[in-house]
Amino acid sequence: MLRRTFLMLTTSLAIAGVASQANAACSPDYTGVTLTVASQTGPYIASALKLGADEWAKKTCGKVNVVEFPWSELYPKIATSLTASDATFDLVSFAPAWLPDFVPYLSEMPKEMQSGKDWDDIEPAYRERLMVWEGKIYSQSMDGDVHTYTYRTDLFSDPKEKDAFKAKYGYDLAPPKTWKQYLDIAEFFQRPDKGLWGTAEAFRRGGQQFWFFFSHAAAYANNPNYPGAMFFDPETMDAQINNPGWVKGLEEYIRASKLGPPNALNFSFGEVNAAVAGGQVAESIGWGDTGVIAADPKQSKISGKVGSAMLPGSDEIWNAKTKKWDKFPSVLPGPFMAFGGWQIAVPKAGKNQKAAWDFVKTLTSPEVSGQAAITGGSGVNPYRKSHTANLQLWSKIFSPEEAKEYLGAQSDSINAKNVALDMRLPGYFSYTEVVEIELGKALAGQTTPQAALDAMAKEWNRLTDEFGRAKQLAAYRAAMGLPPKN
Amino acid sequence: MMRNDPIKHVFIWPAVLVVLAISIFPLIYSLTTSFLSYRLIPPIPPRVVWLGNYATLLQEPRFWSALFTTTLIAFIAVALQYAIGFGVALALNARVPGERLFRVALLLPMLLAPVAVALVARMMFNPTMGPLNQFLSKFGLVNLPFLTNGHWALACIIAVEVWQWTPFVILMMLAGLQTLPEDVYEAAELENASAWQQFWGITFPMMLPISAAVVFIRLIESYKIMDTVFVMTGGGPGVDTETLTLFAYQEGFKKFNLGYTSALSFLFLIAITIIGVTYLALLRPHLEKRR
Repeated sequence: MLRRTFLMLTTSLAIAGVASQANAACSPDYTGVTLTVASQTGPYIASALKLGADEWAKKTCGKVNVVEFPWSELYPKIATSLTASDATFDLVSFAPAWLPDFVPYLSEMPKEMQSGKDWDDIEPAYRERLMVWEGKIYSQSMDGDVHTYTYRTDLFSDPKEKDAFKAKYGYDLAPPKTWKQYLDIAEFFQRPDKGLWGTAEAFRRGGQQFWFFFSHAAAYANNPNYPGAMFFDPETMDAQINNPGWVKGLEEYIRASKLGPPNALNFSFGEVNAAVAGGQVAESIGWGDTGVIAADPKQSKISGKVGSAMLPGSDEIWNAKTKKWDKFPSVLPGPFMAFGGWQIAVPKAGKNQKAAWDFVKTLTSPEVSGQAAITGGSGVNPYRKSHTANLQLWSKIFSPEEAKEYLGAQSDSINAKNVALDMRLPGYFSYTEVVEIELGKALAGQTTPQAALDAMAKEWNRLTDEFGRAKQLAAYRAAMGLPPKN
Repeated sequence: MMRNDPIKHVFIWPAVLVVLAISIFPLIYSLTTSFLSYRLIPPIPPRVVWLGNYATLLQEPRFWSALFTTTLIAFIAVALQYAIGFGVALALNARVPGERLFRVALLLPMLLAPVAVALVARMMFNPTMGPLNQFLSKFGLVNLPFLTNGHWALACIIAVEVWQWTPFVILMMLAGLQTLPEDVYEAAELENASAWQQFWGITFPMMLPISAAVVFIRLIESYKIMDTVFVMTGGGPGVDTETLTLFAYQEGFKKFNLGYTSALSFLFLIAITIIGVTYLALLRPHLEKRR
């Protein structure tokens, strides 16, 4: 009897020991918790979320279920779930532009996450601007997005090409400082008979097209003398999209569509990356993914020949206040935070809010996000200081020269004084839908650039009135980092 | 059981209530919403505008463009489906060698999900990687802007619709052909009637009732086209291939403009009803002649 009691006691102690060891491995312990995250269809972003999910599972013993939706379906799915206040998703990943629509349904980030080393490591453009809405933090950047310029270094450094270019255009072949130079380069390398085209950009409706157009226009419409007036006049909320700066941007965007591979009009960003990595084009603009994919020898024919730079700019920018062109002593680069980088947030209706924010912490930690940033196809581009400072991290995919240019372009763009922020407004889809429709017509030559932009401006003003001009003005000023209007 | 046995209510009423709950109530709710200015995003409190949404829609060029595009796709696609489908059904009915194999093979497109078909079609018509343009390039011909030019894009959508839904017409027409009495044809042959005369004098008139039904079903179905357009062109370029259902989807599930979308749905219903009623009215004299 005594022997049996001793045996039972020993067994119980052993089981208790194993259990406590297991719990000690889960810190904090979220055993039995399964989080559901809404994401766009992978690999972009969804694969980064899965990478974070694996790390979080190792750390906390919780599980993360990534539910994927096609890009065009993501907004309706999240919006339907949030407005119905159901607990379908514990976390939602989304475009910063949708934040104003989602804010009423999101929980605020815990205060303890808004300080410390990891917090300070986030680039100010994200931490102080894109993640903030009316002074509060409702979401965390999990990706950094700014448009940059990508080019083929083998073509640009070829002495024959350099001589021929200089003879034709009268200046050196180099990454362009202005959009005119960008188009000259595209025109110079337009050689369909040799399977080489000038440039690749997205032109397809629903294919991230309008951000490429915004990048062209930013150089002429984002005036540092009248900040925040790129899309709307921040005093009156009158649409600015049909001013002469935007017209120039659209004319050049249309010209770029004619200097791309055949049927470039059907290109979304995916096709842009394929054209660049396939060595079909001499230059391109787009998000940081382009450079990472082009550098990857498994996906690219131009690996080791990838150069990067900031977007071209202009030395004259339209002033929406004076209604005149402002002349600057030198060319101002025109970086544009297109899209602005994926955000992740926790809905108020979620049942596991504490665990969800803990997952966000792991997902966006310098280590996990750093790994995602150097993984081609993860969709994650640098958004932390440590991402661009750690050259060692990038040596896995880039040569030292490539890494220096790529990270320099990213960092310089984000931290540029005149960096243009993307539009964030309630009713975002209503505003961008008309842009897509009219862009399609202008690209197809069915309407003139001015007429297309006039139609956009008319609809933007109508929507602003419908949604409430004062409310929209307050939201727009908040999005552009301007103080509230008295 | 007697006709006035009260037990019948136990069987009837649950069914009536279910029908009310799942179809009549949403219809009434939707009709009510169509008289409101009601947006979920950005949230705007509902406001009664009576026929305001309908008036706005009727003045909206995009609505008329979507109606025209849908009508164009529906009429051209159904006409082609009927002509090809009837032809193939006649061939199969003539007991050609390998008829069974053809019958199964020809039905396959109909069994596929429209989304899958549209995805395959999008690849086929892909400007750079698609086999069609690669084929053209091999012969030194210029690449065609299949999905980037409005006219070409519409033609591609119609081609996919015809490819997918002609088998339905084949199936129905073949079933009809197999019920036709053989003695009429024997009599015609005794009168030395040619195959062409037999077709126009016997087959076509006798097949008129089933033809009318097949065309009617396909026409109504074609007006509801959504998946194919959504995947292949997204309504573009511009709004050149935007159909009524896609327009409603954009307004309802992208912009969450619920009042406007409800009005659009009812205008869609009215348009389809007018087309259906007109079609049946036009056919009635011919069908009555057959009785």
